[in-house]
Amino acid sequence: MKLFDKYNRVNIAVTVIIMLVTGIIYYYTISHILTSQIDKDLVLEENEIFSYVNKNHRLPDVYESNHQQIVFAPLGNKSAERRFLDTTYHDSDEKDLEAGRALISSVKISGHNYRILVTQSKVETEDLIQIIFLITIGVIVSLLVILIVLNRVILKSIWKPFYKVLFQLKEFSLASHATINSTPSNIDEFTELDQAVISMAYRVKSDYQNLKAFTENASHELMTPISVINSKLDTLVQTDEFTDRQSKLLNDIYGTVTRLTRLNKSMLLLAKIENGLIQDNQDVDIKDVLEECLYQHEEMIYQLNIKLVTDLRDKHLQANKSLVEILLNNLLSNAIRHNHQDGKLSIYLDSEKLTISNTGEGNFNFQQVLKRFHKSDGSEGIGLGLTLCKQICDNYGFKFGYVQHGKMHAFNVTF
Amino acid sequence: MKILIVEDETGLRDSIEAYFTGGDSICETASDFTSALAKVSVYRYDCIILDLTLPHGNGLNIVKHLKENNHNDGVLIISAKDSLDDRLMGLDLGADDYLTKPFHLSELKSRVTAIVRRRSFNGSNNLKFNEIEIDLDAKAVKVKDIIVKFTRKEYSLLLYFIANKGKVVSKSAIAEHLWGDSIDIADNFDFIYSHIKNIRKKLVEAGGNDYIQAAYGMGYKFTDA
Repeated sequence: MKLFDKYNRVNIAVTVIIMLVTGIIYYYTISHILTSQIDKDLVLEENEIFSYVNKNHRLPDVYESNHQQIVFAPLGNKSAERRFLDTTYHDSDEKDLEAGRALISSVKISGHNYRILVTQSKVETEDLIQIIFLITIGVIVSLLVILIVLNRVILKSIWKPFYKVLFQLKEFSLASHATINSTPSNIDEFTELDQAVISMAYRVKSDYQNLKAFTENASHELMTPISVINSKLDTLVQTDEFTDRQSKLLNDIYGTVTRLTRLNKSMLLLAKIENGLIQDNQDVDIKDVLEECLYQHEEMIYQLNIKLVTDLRDKHLQANKSLVEILLNNLLSNAIRHNHQDGKLSIYLDSEKLTISNTGEGNFNFQQVLKRFHKSDGSEGIGLGLTLCKQICDNYGFKFGYVQHGKMHAFNVTF
Repeated sequence: MKILIVEDETGLRDSIEAYFTGGDSICETASDFTSALAKVSVYRYDCIILDLTLPHGNGLNIVKHLKENNHNDGVLIISAKDSLDDRLMGLDLGADDYLTKPFHLSELKSRVTAIVRRRSFNGSNNLKFNEIEIDLDAKAVKVKDIIVKFTRKEYSLLLYFIANKGKVVSKSAIAEHLWGDSIDIADNFDFIYSHIKNIRKKLVEAGGNDYIQAAYGMGYKFTDA
């Protein structure tokens, strides 16, 4: 539930209850005041009768005035208790019954008790109360409507900065270069929120930058010691005769240093792409690069007796050539390395899409293999190949996808 | 050939010096910008192996200095920075080649040799090794005046061996030279053998000698000894 819906609901419920209670109190108060006004009239009438009786020692003539009736009735020896009561008033003109108020009293004339019943119509009072009631209801309804509309309009405009901040938070990404913009607001809470979000985003970004810079610098610094090891190894193998055991050890060291170098270069490259340090775009002929990659892999294709099918059209791109080479080499290496003897490898290239599909056993989760250092069973790679491919594709806005049809695994790059 | 090695990392400088010294080569070294500048101001070299990040200055300024003084010493930049900016700037300033660290000494030697050969261009761009004659422009190999056809990789490997003659060249170095470093090198070790077998066969069938020796399962050595 949205905040202002919730707020409105509570607000309106409370308003309605208060209004109703006020209305009821209002009704009774006014009703009471008007009734006591009528009662006063009745007492006045009673007093007039008393004074008439005192003066004339007989009952006055009964005349019917508008909205008032007086009835005398002999009581004999009994006496009537003086009281007010709500009754009905019979209007002789209009021939209908109206609400009325009556006073019962008694008077003694020459030893005979008479009951006096003075009745007055309450129709005007009722009318008045009805009008007051209607006005009250009208006020309640219009107040409610105004409240709802006002709340909606005011809250919406008040919360606008909040939604703007929220939207920016949703769009926030560490990898993108877009920063969170300040959202000015004259409400202290929102200004505070806005500043907190901006400083948080700034901190997170700068931490992330530091981390990336660290990866890059660390990889960089590692290059020098690795090159020293490499050169010392090259020097060592010149020195003397080696036994089989020694040369096996040296081979292993060579292999490990090469692996270390590759790993380090890949990490450096990833960091560079992420830091947006690779720009130098040039015109790259994809077909050309692809053919060169195939040439590099020809021995492996030949050895596994892989049936190679290619359909390459011309495709030029504005990109960094070595990145494109790395992308294509990685894709091709994978397609060959995970292939089997007498397998198939097809490469299709047109102006929109490059598809490299190969036969291969097993299934894998595409999203999983894109993760860093993910290695499938029996893979000899360093686990950064496809991560690099994805990163390179992202860098140039290409779509990197994967489809599996039975034993055919197809990786595609949509330009 | 006379070579100057400008590198501040002692371990690397010593290794390069040890690898290059001997045969017909003389090596001098400099460990910082000042001493390097002092040397290139006075002496001329066939090739300067130049690190860019030096104490007291940037190696690129040495390239600038050479150009401003019209010295056409060959320059090979070696740098840990694999940035295209540096590469382009170095080459624009007049450097001949750019090699990213880490590298194999054999690769360095082959690049330096190529630079020196290009600079000592004397009419024909031919390379002779005993009965083997290579036309570098046409990429054609003749053994005892008979043209022998080599594939691209075999040709490149033969040049690599000749540049590193008398040295043990590791399989890692060969694989990296032939297939580049973006391909997993361990995958290709088996293919090195078949390429070498082919080179040997072609040389011997054309009446040449077999100069390639296997070196204790680690690599190969090209030698006429």
